[in-house]
Amino acid sequence: MSEGKKVLLIVGSPKGKNSTSESLGLYLLDRLRESGMTTEVEYIYPAVRKENNLDKLVIATDCADLIVLSFPLYVDSIPAGTIRALEAIAEHRKSAPVSGQKFAAICQSGFPEALHNKIAVEICRLFARDADMEWMGALTLGGGGVVSGKPLKEAGGMVRNVIKALDLAAADLATGSSISEEARSVMSQPLMPKWLYMSMGNLGWYIQAAQNKVLFKLNARAE
Amino acid sequence: MKATIYDGFDNHDADCRQLIQAVTAQLEEAGYEIDFLTLKDMKIGYCTGCFGCWIKTPGVCVLNDEGRAIAKSGIESDLVVALTPVTFGGYSSSLKKALDRWAPNLSPFFETRGGEIHHKRRYDHYADTAIIGLLRSPDDEAEKVFESLAARNKLNFFGRMFAGGVVTAGDDLPAQVGALLGQVLKAGVEK
Repeated sequence: MSEGKKVLLIVGSPKGKNSTSESLGLYLLDRLRESGMTTEVEYIYPAVRKENNLDKLVIATDCADLIVLSFPLYVDSIPAGTIRALEAIAEHRKSAPVSGQKFAAICQSGFPEALHNKIAVEICRLFARDADMEWMGALTLGGGGVVSGKPLKEAGGMVRNVIKALDLAAADLATGSSISEEARSVMSQPLMPKWLYMSMGNLGWYIQAAQNKVLFKLNARAE
Repeated sequence: MKATIYDGFDNHDADCRQLIQAVTAQLEEAGYEIDFLTLKDMKIGYCTGCFGCWIKTPGVCVLNDEGRAIAKSGIESDLVVALTPVTFGGYSSSLKKALDRWAPNLSPFFETRGGEIHHKRRYDHYADTAIIGLLRSPDDEAEKVFESLAARNKLNFFGRMFAGGVVTAGDDLPAQVGALLGQVLKAGVEK
């Protein structure tokens, strides 16, 4: 049904390539390509660091039938650079309206619970409203550290629900439907028990601090 | 008492100037010494989520720019008042750029609060915080999202007092600001 339609993935992680946001977005993009859609990827952070490049990203959104934003949660919301890009796109739409454009999002965080992403998704929804795009819904993932920027097919069995959710969402979007409740629900399932994620996370900080020779300064305060 | 104002506006139109004037006047009246930061004019890099401020130079961002002063103001001020146009129900990119740089003020370690996982505090004292969003015209959806975002921030910013909400451009804007800031200012005076 979406044969020949164009989907643009916008990666909203400051880490850009090899980020978890990219990994999730590229997997979805592959599935949409298999459905006959043409695909393109843009990275926000190289663009917002130079305003000329931001213009290029904004123009790139003009000819997309579906835009998918994939980003990490920063301080309960969207990372600042990604908000900058959304501001520019919404402003551009005022003078260059595009009819029937659709917008979906993938939001993941380092907290084990997906619920932390709820407000960021609401902000995406209101962006779509203000940019006159049709809101197609969002997938939210907790414990994104498990993916850690790896291609999903290499991330192991722990991400099987993530893959299932993205497969379901791709099937929805490829037929022009919003992301289903089933896809959203599967994606937001915890990847592991909270206590285990918290223990592994806290241990990880000790290990990384030791590698950087600051193990005993982890609780240091700025002078 | 020291208050830091984060001005998260990129365009200072009449509504914005009225908001800034109302906030400044009410803080001065309450006895605060004000440090006014126009964020768009500051050299603040984007947080890159590198975790360097937790596991390389704990408590200090690895980016050596004015973002470090932003983080410090979050612990050294008595009160931070952040002003922003309501942007898709959230904060402007200029304000968010500053708030993203508060990460060094938190500990990397997790703890459970209210049944959810959050980062632990790094400091005993954090600034009281008020986040005020300006709407050009009433927008119930955006207002609700903004208030929800501020409420989520409250869980992470550790300030003793917190006010977060929306004011709408108009003649009664100073009164709206007063209603939002009232509780925070009263608490500051009582310290």
